[in-house]
Amino acid sequence: MSTVPKHRQLPDKESKLFKELIAQYEVKQYKKCIKAADTILKKLPNHGETLALKALSLHSSLPMPPTVASLPKQEEAEAMARTAVKKDITSHITWHVLGILAKNRKDWEEASRAFAMARKQDSENVPVLRDIMSLYMHTRQYPAAVAARHHYLLMRPQIRSSWLGLMIAHDLNGDIEEALQVYDGYVSMVYKEGMSPSEHSQVCLYVVRLCMEAGLDVQGLDRLEKAFRDGVVSPRGEATKLKAEMLLRLGKKEEAEESWRVLLEQNSDSHDNYKGFLRTRGLSISPTLDDTSREKVAEILAGFAQSYPRSSAPKRMQLDVLQGDAFRSFARPYIITGLERGIPSLFVDVKGVYEDVAKMQAVGELVADIVQQLEKESSLEEDTTEPPTTLLWAYYYFALHLSHPLHPEPNHSRSLELLEIALKHTPTLPELYMAKAIVLKRSGDPLTAAYAMEEARSLDLQDRFLNSKAAKYWYRAGQIQKAEELLALFSKKGAPVVTDQTDLQCLWMMQEEGDAYRRTGNLALALKRYQSVFTTFTDYDDDQFDFHTYCMRRMTLSSYKSLIKYEDQLRSHPAYIKSAREAIEIYMRISDDPSLTEEHLTPEEEAERKKAAKKAQKAEQKARKAAAATSDGKKEDQPIPDDDPTGEKLLKTETPLEDALKIWKPLEKFGNERIEVWTMGYEIYIRKKMWLAALRCLKEAYSIDPEDPTLHKQLYNFKHLSQSTDIPPMIKETISTVLPSLISGDLEDFNKSYLDRHSNSPTHILSAAQALHEIQPTSEEIITILNRLISPDVRINIQVILRALEFLQSAVPDVVEEYRGRCRERFPSAWIFSSLSEQVVRAEQMALSVGSGEEQSKADV
Amino acid sequence: MDIRQATIDDLLGMQNANLLNLPENYTFKYYLYHALTWPELSFVAVDPRGRIVGYILAKMDEDSTDEVIGHVTSISVLRPYRRLGLANKLMKQSQEAMVAHYKASKITLHVRKSNRAAISLYRDTLGFEVFTMEKGYYADNEDAYGMRYIFPQAS
Repeated sequence: MSTVPKHRQLPDKESKLFKELIAQYEVKQYKKCIKAADTILKKLPNHGETLALKALSLHSSLPMPPTVASLPKQEEAEAMARTAVKKDITSHITWHVLGILAKNRKDWEEASRAFAMARKQDSENVPVLRDIMSLYMHTRQYPAAVAARHHYLLMRPQIRSSWLGLMIAHDLNGDIEEALQVYDGYVSMVYKEGMSPSEHSQVCLYVVRLCMEAGLDVQGLDRLEKAFRDGVVSPRGEATKLKAEMLLRLGKKEEAEESWRVLLEQNSDSHDNYKGFLRTRGLSISPTLDDTSREKVAEILAGFAQSYPRSSAPKRMQLDVLQGDAFRSFARPYIITGLERGIPSLFVDVKGVYEDVAKMQAVGELVADIVQQLEKESSLEEDTTEPPTTLLWAYYYFALHLSHPLHPEPNHSRSLELLEIALKHTPTLPELYMAKAIVLKRSGDPLTAAYAMEEARSLDLQDRFLNSKAAKYWYRAGQIQKAEELLALFSKKGAPVVTDQTDLQCLWMMQEEGDAYRRTGNLALALKRYQSVFTTFTDYDDDQFDFHTYCMRRMTLSSYKSLIKYEDQLRSHPAYIKSAREAIEIYMRISDDPSLTEEHLTPEEEAERKKAAKKAQKAEQKARKAAAATSDGKKEDQPIPDDDPTGEKLLKTETPLEDALKIWKPLEKFGNERIEVWTMGYEIYIRKKMWLAALRCLKEAYSIDPEDPTLHKQLYNFKHLSQSTDIPPMIKETISTVLPSLISGDLEDFNKSYLDRHSNSPTHILSAAQALHEIQPTSEEIITILNRLISPDVRINIQVILRALEFLQSAVPDVVEEYRGRCRERFPSAWIFSSLSEQVVRAEQMALSVGSGEEQSKADV
Repeated sequence: MDIRQATIDDLLGMQNANLLNLPENYTFKYYLYHALTWPELSFVAVDPRGRIVGYILAKMDEDSTDEVIGHVTSISVLRPYRRLGLANKLMKQSQEAMVAHYKASKITLHVRKSNRAAISLYRDTLGFEVFTMEKGYYADNEDAYGMRYIFPQAS
């Protein structure tokens, strides 16, 4: 820019001050900056750039995250930055400052807009350029990132990271050829100068991977071999893996095989290394192998098992491959060794094969036989005597086996008997109580299960794993306070446990506590916990920001690329999906019945609430005192308190559907693989009366699995609702062309044949009942269908029965108690089917009978 | 259990295992920092369902100028997965990687003074020795032992 506009010009004295202001900012003397800015502004109150720098200095002087005392100042700085832009809209400084402030509050969209405006004012400004490059990567604006990085490279060609940044921008923009060309330029310009060996290696491996992606295996292999020869890259790990893959793709099978042998020498516990080796011979661990291939695979694995006797991988993988008698004769010693060594995870390890029903049965018979033999003669082979612990672990295994949900006839009481025998022998082994807890949980008795887990915990109070497990079981039993008391034993003293564990991003706690509150009917706190899961994911997302520059400097380009890919699908993580599902369901309930947002507290609950509030208040006061003591006695400097600690505000939302949509939107892009994304979306759109969007969800779900249980009942729901008259004719027409391809014919027959196709699947049975309810809400036929859930030829599914009870409660409430009675009769151990009030009474009784035991255990820690 | 190098996709699983099992916890960004600086040094043990049941989170000591030293930030195996030698295997993998990729001459770690089981694992099984004691190292003010193991090829 050649001439400075008039409104920006400063008299000599102020001009000098302005320069000083910038100099002081760079050495972080923010107070001096503000003082200088004030002096200038006194004379020239409309000088935008000065005002902007004052805003920036003020903002930089504040603590992050903001405190009670600093928040008003932060808001002042934000407002000042906006005013500065208004006063000087053509200055790169005012825009840049606005962008920096937005970036600091993680408003990436506004930041990138502001930086773009700053760049428009001064395209050669390096700090602006640096900021905008990161933002473009962060917001995935790759073409813009390429342009900015290119510009930066022209200005800073001597810096390595300018080249690497442009290279990876091209790569992520989908232009590998350009990326490789940049690399060639980089090699001729700045190669090697002052690079550490590991940096060198990172760049080299990244380029090799680029070649592979571009299908340039010959070139990639050449580069890699040269790097090995030059000692730039170590053949340990990933590099040799890349080599093996390229060799195989080039048809050099023997050499590829040799590479996998090298990898196995380095790590004989990696399943991937064995699978890679097998691939070079056209083999795999697939269950669909033909007999000759299967024999070959088994033989190869057996060979490796001999070469690497300390590695479990080649043995474990044989379990996957072998069938029939060969499986039996291999599994027996495998299991016996595990029992002899007292490996608690043997069950988890072996149950991996249970998806194959025949194998599950075979393992069951083997273990039954081992138990019997040991009970009779304490020996498994001739002339050997087994130590009694072998039988103990055999009981342990058998108990978990017999009660496993995949077992055709789970026998919970037999499992518990076996564990009692084992406990008589060794009453101090926490694993036995843990197994007891698992069996009880599976039998539908989360409360007794929690007491069993508590016993396991009490045997080793220093073990956080047992502590976590016990807490989780208390959550499942609806005893939230007890769970929190346990978690507090391993949290920061003085801080409220939920706050502390949330700060530590303890996803399982947030989710379990959310679920527990949901089950006990406290929807406000349930929403609160689910929201903290979502906030944590936002943090995970934001965490990548610093690495856009950091990784260019450290040259960890491949890892950076995986970071970008990972963050792009971050919210497909089960913890997000599960919390999303539950939170959306709550919002749907609120939308259907706004009276849910008004609280109906029993007097006990009210007292409880008051007690909890008092406790929280005390804890906060304590924390405040502690904070005040450490921060130079500045009393007002406290973290900003949560303005909705009970979740009431969340619950009392006026816009439940919009709130739900906000949670759902990030999931939409994972819809290709996840049917539940569409079935969740349907529930939102249908309530928003967005007919076509709802229909699209059904269509997408149908294309993934037309038989999906949730989809099935939704089709009936849609059919039913779309007959309403207030649909615009155009939309009605679209519906009537599309819908018949999803659901057609006589609706009752359609449902009947659906039920026939899935007569033994609990989820499908429930769905058929719900579908029927849409067209013919008479209780008898619905109950007839639901009775299948508790018939002897259908495997018990506790979660589905609970949902069936919930469904009856809302759909045909007058039959729910009768159905509940039948569920209780059919599964007497499943206390979870009893009514909430019954469960509360039982919990109180159990607490009384267990009595003072836990007081003592608390004192021990 | 499958043992392999940790990737970015494993970090949340590692964080979960850490929170379930150990009193010293870190936010996600700290795991990212490890994986995006020394991608070769961290390893995970994975069960047949793909769940992470053990891990080692490791780095290079950036303060040390005269020696190349690796450091274990955290190592943990979930209780039910004990007796499989997983900690040992994870540690070996990380150590070998430190030598191969960074030419490290030794490895250090901190352990709670009261954690006798861990101290015995490091000393008796893995060959570490105590070389220092740091007073009040942990958040709850407990002392830490600094332990180290000098790689045989380095001496």
